[in-house]
Amino acid sequence: MAAAGLHDARQPRPGPKVTRAAALSLLAGLLILAGLLWAAASVLPGWVWRVPAAWQPDLAGTVNRAFTWVARRAEIGSLAVRDITRAVASLIEVPLDLVRGLLVEGFRLRLGSGLRFEIAALPWWALTAVWGMLAHRIGGRPSMLLVLGTCLYFLVFGLWTPAMLTLASVSLSVAFGAVAGLLLGAWAYRAPRLDAGLGAVYDIMQTLPVFSYLVPILLFFGFGPVAALTATVIYAMPPMARNTTLALRRLPPSVTDLATMVGCTPRQRMWLVLLPAARHGLLAGLNQVIMLSLSAVIIASIIGAGGLGNDVLQGLKSMQLGRAFEAGVGITLLAIVLDRLSRAQALRRPAHGAEGHGRGRRLGWQVAALLLAGLVAAQLFPPLRAFPEMLVVSTGRMLDQAVAWANIAFEAPIGALRDGMVRHVLRPVKDALLALPWLAVTAAAVLAAARIQGLRLALATLAMLGFIALSGYWDQAMISLYLVLVSTLVAMLIGFPVGLAAGLHPGLDRWITLVIDTLQTLPTFVYLIPVVMLFGLGDFPAMVAIVLYALPPAIRYTKDGIARVPASLIEAADMAGCSPRQKLAYVQIPHALPEIMLGVSQTLLMAFGMLVITSLVGTRGLEQETLVAVSKARVGEGLIAGLGISFLSIIADRLISQGSQRLRQRLAGPGAGQEHP
Amino acid sequence: MTDPTFPIRCRNLWKIYGPGAAALAATHAPGPDPETLASRGLLAALRDVTLDIGKGEVFVIMGLSGSGKSTLVRCMTGLVPPTMGDLLIDGENLRDMSPDRLIEIRRHKISMVFQDFALLPHLTVLGNIAFPLKVQGIDRESRERRAAELVELVGLAGRESHFPHELSGGQQQRVGIARSLITNPEIWFLDEPFSALDPLIRHEMQDELMRLQATLNKTVVFITHDFDEAIRIADRIAIMRGGRVVQVDTPEGLVLAPADDYVAAFTRKIPRHRVLRVASVLGPVSAGATGDPVRNTALVGDVAARVLAADAPLPVVDGGGTIVGSLDRQSVIGTVFGVNA
Repeated sequence: MAAAGLHDARQPRPGPKVTRAAALSLLAGLLILAGLLWAAASVLPGWVWRVPAAWQPDLAGTVNRAFTWVARRAEIGSLAVRDITRAVASLIEVPLDLVRGLLVEGFRLRLGSGLRFEIAALPWWALTAVWGMLAHRIGGRPSMLLVLGTCLYFLVFGLWTPAMLTLASVSLSVAFGAVAGLLLGAWAYRAPRLDAGLGAVYDIMQTLPVFSYLVPILLFFGFGPVAALTATVIYAMPPMARNTTLALRRLPPSVTDLATMVGCTPRQRMWLVLLPAARHGLLAGLNQVIMLSLSAVIIASIIGAGGLGNDVLQGLKSMQLGRAFEAGVGITLLAIVLDRLSRAQALRRPAHGAEGHGRGRRLGWQVAALLLAGLVAAQLFPPLRAFPEMLVVSTGRMLDQAVAWANIAFEAPIGALRDGMVRHVLRPVKDALLALPWLAVTAAAVLAAARIQGLRLALATLAMLGFIALSGYWDQAMISLYLVLVSTLVAMLIGFPVGLAAGLHPGLDRWITLVIDTLQTLPTFVYLIPVVMLFGLGDFPAMVAIVLYALPPAIRYTKDGIARVPASLIEAADMAGCSPRQKLAYVQIPHALPEIMLGVSQTLLMAFGMLVITSLVGTRGLEQETLVAVSKARVGEGLIAGLGISFLSIIADRLISQGSQRLRQRLAGPGAGQEHP
Repeated sequence: MTDPTFPIRCRNLWKIYGPGAAALAATHAPGPDPETLASRGLLAALRDVTLDIGKGEVFVIMGLSGSGKSTLVRCMTGLVPPTMGDLLIDGENLRDMSPDRLIEIRRHKISMVFQDFALLPHLTVLGNIAFPLKVQGIDRESRERRAAELVELVGLAGRESHFPHELSGGQQQRVGIARSLITNPEIWFLDEPFSALDPLIRHEMQDELMRLQATLNKTVVFITHDFDEAIRIADRIAIMRGGRVVQVDTPEGLVLAPADDYVAAFTRKIPRHRVLRVASVLGPVSAGATGDPVRNTALVGDVAARVLAADAPLPVVDGGGTIVGSLDRQSVIGTVFGVNA
């Protein structure tokens, strides 16, 4: 479908000329820009430089009024929208209260007047034992030890309660997200037209900063766990839907034929044949839902979700960094556990004998018995409820002192690094981007889009940049862009050589893969902790956090690109007498270039994702507007600034990935892998 | 209308792909000419196919890839609707069937074996075999009892609780065969069932198929691109090329009288003694013929050893025991080397 826009009449054929033309036009764009700047100072009218205030409609105000009206006044029939949303909220609250009650809070029942009855939550020892057993079944002894160690960590550091709160939110968000994603994905599979539309919606859902849609959710559901849960589901559901559609579409045609030939009804076809046959793909989607849910639940602590994220946030705010660090390690452990277990479950293939029905059922009974015993014991013997206080330790104070000492001891090198970067890299780039006239930037981007893909992308780029300019957030957008661009560049500067080394030396690769796999499971929030500890607040620590977060794809794509150069090509280069350096320069890197460019676009997307979170350490771009909007409950500002970030990342991603596709076609040679004429 | 001797009848069947194919069907009945197709950029996967498949026969549809054999069988099973023409299953026109009736037919009357087995990865051998009955809403105990019988029939006893990925290719297809038989269908479609298997296993599975068919007597529609396989199992073979059926005949008929050079090219490589029957090569009744007589319907290859070992020609008898000719060494050797007949 996308091919329609690719081939307007003036579009040259894919081939060497195209990328050269694209490069030329980019160069031309830059030249025009420079010329404009030089000639501009006095000649050009002011509206070329800055969008006049008169052009900017009061979008935010309109959106605010509209939302407030819907939330406060609007009625559907005789029901106020407000009552409806409150009813929905209390409906969502039922399972949430149940899980939180079981894991943390217990239940208070009121029986008649004055008669009260309390049920204690499941005690720590029962939950630990049950999770250990389940982990053993899914991933064997290593998984069990990991789970037991994690539980022990939470207990010893006094993080059990926040960890259980986080887990309660994550499990509910996963349940909602997985079911909604499965249904939407299956629906999109049956209606391909719908699929294209949903894809665009998911793009926005995944690139829109969480803070942006927190505000409207707050407006409808009020402050607290329900709002947090809703935001989390919105953030975490799209990969499940996409994975479901993709997994169903990749099934061999014979499986769908089988469903027809045994006489399935449409419902049997989906539930008895297609979805079970696609289950590996579905479980891969579930893994992503789990990891994104964890990430979002942590972020949602700023609107009162509680849990580990709250400990980190409070620690950061009051500069009790030790406390924040402990909670951060807890989040890290939780992330690794959830990732390992869900991945192991996804890769597991059933085997005969090893797990007959009897065995699974027995485990089920054991778990149920253990939980029941836990409930009863905790009810009857209160000392069995909580972990003994005397065993709880905190290294918080010690860590705080260590950080204070390190900051003093290494003040000179850290300060020099920070100030040098700020003075010589960050500030000049920022000033340059801010100095550029908005019209020239927009024109250059649109020109590049037209050359790289065609009319469709050019129009989309124009619309999106135009929206940012007219919304009055142009300067903030440039500040966001500058931070992302610099961070991406630094990430590539580090990631490219590391990826190259890993691609050339398989022995090194194993370790690097382990490190980047772990880095990738960590929720965004966690990255802020060490960075703030060492560098304090501002653009430089924000950049470091973004680089750390965006590094894995930079390494991974480079590595894969190099490793995937066909062996025959390497041998041909050897036989032609290339030196290792020549081989790298003339064969391996050129061949891996499309993959590396894809890595750049992924790195860029990750950078935009992390950018949103860095608003917490005091950056000044669009992301800050979305955070401020949350605290002031301004729907309009939050949504518009958020859409700005979303648009910037979509444009950047499309430009680079389309460029990579062109390059790939060129490498594949004429005729190979071409689209239809 | 119902003709019990021909469960499947195709009448002027066309399948045309491309934009506006349906509109073409409305204006160009009973079938468009090649120029019309070419000028509109349409592709005909089936061109005017007419054939009857008899009850209890093994009917092989043979063709290279792109010849339309898969499209034909997909039309017969209703997986793909034909653009023009009629397809009668036991006299019922597939075109006029309601979706419910089609489901009904698929649940009880026809079944299919797939090239890539199409086993469900989350079900055991027993679960896979019993699956069609599950779809029909039959309770677990009865369907698993019936599935256990089929496990026995296809020689997989002891592997009931294995999962598909734990089985070899041949074993997986045995599961596919058992699954397709559990509903006790009248018509059995096999779409290149052994193409994904290596040659030794393929041979073994062909024997297995013939063993099953000897007791079951289904109407079998078997798709293959392998002419050796076709002549081994077929009662009759339809050879397809470019969407057309070029020739329909017995293996012997194809060898003795190929309709054109294309068919002849296939038959040339075939060991003739495995196709030709005594009746096609016998000599005149001769007084010199002595010894145990051979049947005129036996394959030459099956009686060759006896003829070569005998000192004189052997007499040939028909089903009633009447002597109809004689068979000498010359004829047998000539058949093997393709110099007579």
